[in-house]
Amino acid sequence: MVSLNVNGAPVTVSAPDDKPLLWVLREDLGLLGAKYGCGIAQCGACRVLINGVSTPSCVTTLSTVAGASVVTVEGLPQADGTLSVLQQAWLDEQVPQCGFCQPGFLVAATALLDRVPQPTNAEIDEFIDNICRCGTYPRIRRAIHRAAAAQAQG
Amino acid sequence: MPRIFSRRNFLITGAVLGGTAMVAAVGGIGTLATVDMDGPDPLLDGDRLVFNAFVAIHQDGSVVIQAPRTEMGQGIHTGLAMLVAEELDIPFDARIRVEHPVEQLAAYTNFSGPLRTRPEGAQGPVMWAAKRLLGLLPLNNTAGSRSIVGMWVPMRQAGAAARHMLVTAGAARLGVQVGDVTTSDGFVRHAASGRNIAYGDLVRDAAAVPPPSDPVLKPASAWRLIGRAQPRVDLPAKIRGEPVFGADVVLPDMLHAAIRQAPVFGASVARVVNEAETRAQPGIVDVAVIDGRSVAVVASSWWLAETAAWRLDIQWAATEAEVVTSAGLARALQSALDGDEPHLYLHEGDVEVPAGQVVTAAYTAPFVTHACMEPMNATVLIRGDGTAEAWCPTQSPMSMRWGVNRGAALADVDPTSVTCHVTMTGGAFGRRSDLDVVVQAAFLATRHRDRPVKLMWSRQEDIGRGIYRSHAAARMRAALGPDGLPVSYDALVAAQSMQQSASARLLPFGNGASPHGDRFTVEGLDKSYYAVPNRRLRSHHVPSHMPIGAWRSNGFSFGTFFAESFVDECAQAASQDPVAYRRRLLRDSPRHLAVLDRVAALAGWGTPLAPGRGRGVAIEEAYESVVAEVVEITVAADGEITVDRVFCVVDVGIVVNPDAVVAQMEGGIQFGVTTALMSSITLEAGAVMESNFHDFPMQRLANAPEIVVEIMPSNLPPGGAGEPGIVPVAAAIANAIHAATGRRLRSLPFATVETLGERRLRTVLPAVDMAARN
Ligand code: FES
Ligand code: FES
Repeated sequence: MVSLNVNGAPVTVSAPDDKPLLWVLREDLGLLGAKYGCGIAQCGACRVLINGVSTPSCVTTLSTVAGASVVTVEGLPQADGTLSVLQQAWLDEQVPQCGFCQPGFLVAATALLDRVPQPTNAEIDEFIDNICRCGTYPRIRRAIHRAAAAQAQG
Repeated sequence: MPRIFSRRNFLITGAVLGGTAMVAAVGGIGTLATVDMDGPDPLLDGDRLVFNAFVAIHQDGSVVIQAPRTEMGQGIHTGLAMLVAEELDIPFDARIRVEHPVEQLAAYTNFSGPLRTRPEGAQGPVMWAAKRLLGLLPLNNTAGSRSIVGMWVPMRQAGAAARHMLVTAGAARLGVQVGDVTTSDGFVRHAASGRNIAYGDLVRDAAAVPPPSDPVLKPASAWRLIGRAQPRVDLPAKIRGEPVFGADVVLPDMLHAAIRQAPVFGASVARVVNEAETRAQPGIVDVAVIDGRSVAVVASSWWLAETAAWRLDIQWAATEAEVVTSAGLARALQSALDGDEPHLYLHEGDVEVPAGQVVTAAYTAPFVTHACMEPMNATVLIRGDGTAEAWCPTQSPMSMRWGVNRGAALADVDPTSVTCHVTMTGGAFGRRSDLDVVVQAAFLATRHRDRPVKLMWSRQEDIGRGIYRSHAAARMRAALGPDGLPVSYDALVAAQSMQQSASARLLPFGNGASPHGDRFTVEGLDKSYYAVPNRRLRSHHVPSHMPIGAWRSNGFSFGTFFAESFVDECAQAASQDPVAYRRRLLRDSPRHLAVLDRVAALAGWGTPLAPGRGRGVAIEEAYESVVAEVVEITVAADGEITVDRVFCVVDVGIVVNPDAVVAQMEGGIQFGVTTALMSSITLEAGAVMESNFHDFPMQRLANAPEIVVEIMPSNLPPGGAGEPGIVPVAAAIANAIHAATGRRLRSLPFATVETLGERRLRTVLPAVDMAARN
């Protein structure tokens, strides 16, 4: 039994200690936002925030997140369901194509803006290392800048 | 997913086609070209009126549109809904819900792809019979960049027919002539009296109005949606991370399955050494050999199943293909090119005509794979009562249904009906036209009646045990006239036929189409729009044990690389600028010339670049669209290559949703840059060596070029947009490398990948061109 906090709510999971957080989220907690894309920390589709740090959940075992606070893409909107500033920027820039990689990018970009509110292109390149096979990269970059600008104003 | 149409469509089209049944309801199938609007009366169902196979309106004014093409990121659900909304005169807002239909109706057939025609152009008894045949299957797939091409007229007719019925009902209710009312924003309006009736309030009355046999479409001047960017209808859910993909399907009592397939294609399972031990593990429900070729583990969780699959000890029977290597297959291409009797695909004039300077060049391209972000998966339920239901991110509900039948047949089960739910797909790129994963899942489902079985491949299975685009090699020869332009152009290409490999897998009969003269082998090599008087195009099919399938842009992905690199080589031999040279070759092709001129202007062609930088251009006509790109690259002293900017101008005919076209060009270009610089599937001892993103890498945001896209205004009927973007990329990069370095690279991929720590990479040109050594 492992207790942790997921998207603001305390949860207790009974699953093997070595079960990756990705599969705990998807199979034990019914949170299907984080995606399996590679299982080897290459693609970032499974990224979640663990204590605020963007982390590939496919290689993070359950036992290592005991007591941690985990945020998935489902936890990004505000409590009333309004999209986060970043998600709204994503919608305004019409970023996703197939959308499968997008939860991981949204999580990674959320972590970036928490750390660097006004990132430069070089900082975006440095921090955002997920894979998008559909090639939405230019729009991802634009959406991050748009969200940064909106946050600076708001 | 709700089954919107059930009884209803039977009445409207006369045929619900489920299971293996081919319902020959000849009288009711009606005009397959359109929306079966000359069928029986539309029907009220609860609070809504189902107008036809595509449109239903509820009394609260909400509109449900059936979009019978797979949403795989290209925005097709939005584009098709726009066409209906345009004619229906409803706002493009949240009151529209777009669904992928569950019923397989003849009206959803994609005959425009196989018959290579447009609905509005399809005439005559032969075409009629062919359409009827495809409608009986029914062939409903999302492929070949044909969705807008094929649905451009039917979706608008569906909207116009519904509008006609609402207008007729509204005028009658108001006691005025039909000609005195107008429609806008979902209302029938009578301006003279200022009275308006919402569509929702008219659905009961409209049900009594006979559908028009030939609904009148708006003139282009009246369009308010077509040609204006509309937001994608599927994005809000995707941005919230909602479970819209096949991988997200969760059903009561569902079992999960993981699989290990033969490392050498065609090898069979000799023995699962630790089968008993695997079965004994907690949570493991089944270990099954599928068709003698793969082993699946079924468990209560996918993670459990996959972990157990990792530990499977499988002995594979020896096969002849075990000696196959990439180098051997590459030699087979070359010996085919050396050999006699290629298939003569085209010969105009005489390529042996004597002329001046002769230019020759040889090119190669490797096997590549799709690596869709969402791994292959399918969920199948076979009930005790003999019915089956399946959920799959597929490009073809027809393939999906056949897949269920075929997988069940492996266990001697013949489902009485198969209901297919097409989910959103996390990328497709041709890969999801195949039915391998569906066959496997259906077989597993026969062993666990009344429990849905969801089979998902690991990424390793996807990349290493998948389906591939063929490798290819070409030899090109041109003889230049006194003006430097080719008098003759002769292309000889060798590749494995996709048409044969794919049709052998996908068609329910025979061994597939003839591999000779496969048009997918010669795509991009024809260059018919260039003014070259003597042209010849010949091809060889070189078989191997590799399964070949559709891959975004198919033959164009290598053929255009060969041909457009070669045109640059000819320009160089003639000491002419590549754009100026192509301009002269395009003297009889004004549409292409306009696209070329525009992209040259956009890219500032001819303006100086710093040393180490270069520009390259390429153009192609593909999927009834014309696309040209200029690429700007930098090659550093140590050989590092970066693609800095790509300028793209595309003429796709009439544009439905411009932002979706721009996104498809952007995505296609990124796909093309990854492929040109770094994609290669290699074989040792018959097995694919690559297995995941570390050894089949993708460019990441840091490597991604800036992209500028411009759409040419056009009045031509819509062409395809999903595939053209990728087509010119490789040649444009090769041409840019030549401009920057003087080196002519004739072998894909151009670069080797160096990792710079985790998830960080750079691409470096090899010191020696591999092709030059061949
Ligand atoms: S699934 Fe975790 S990084 Fe790819
Ligand atoms: S949107 Fe499809 S992989 Fe990124």
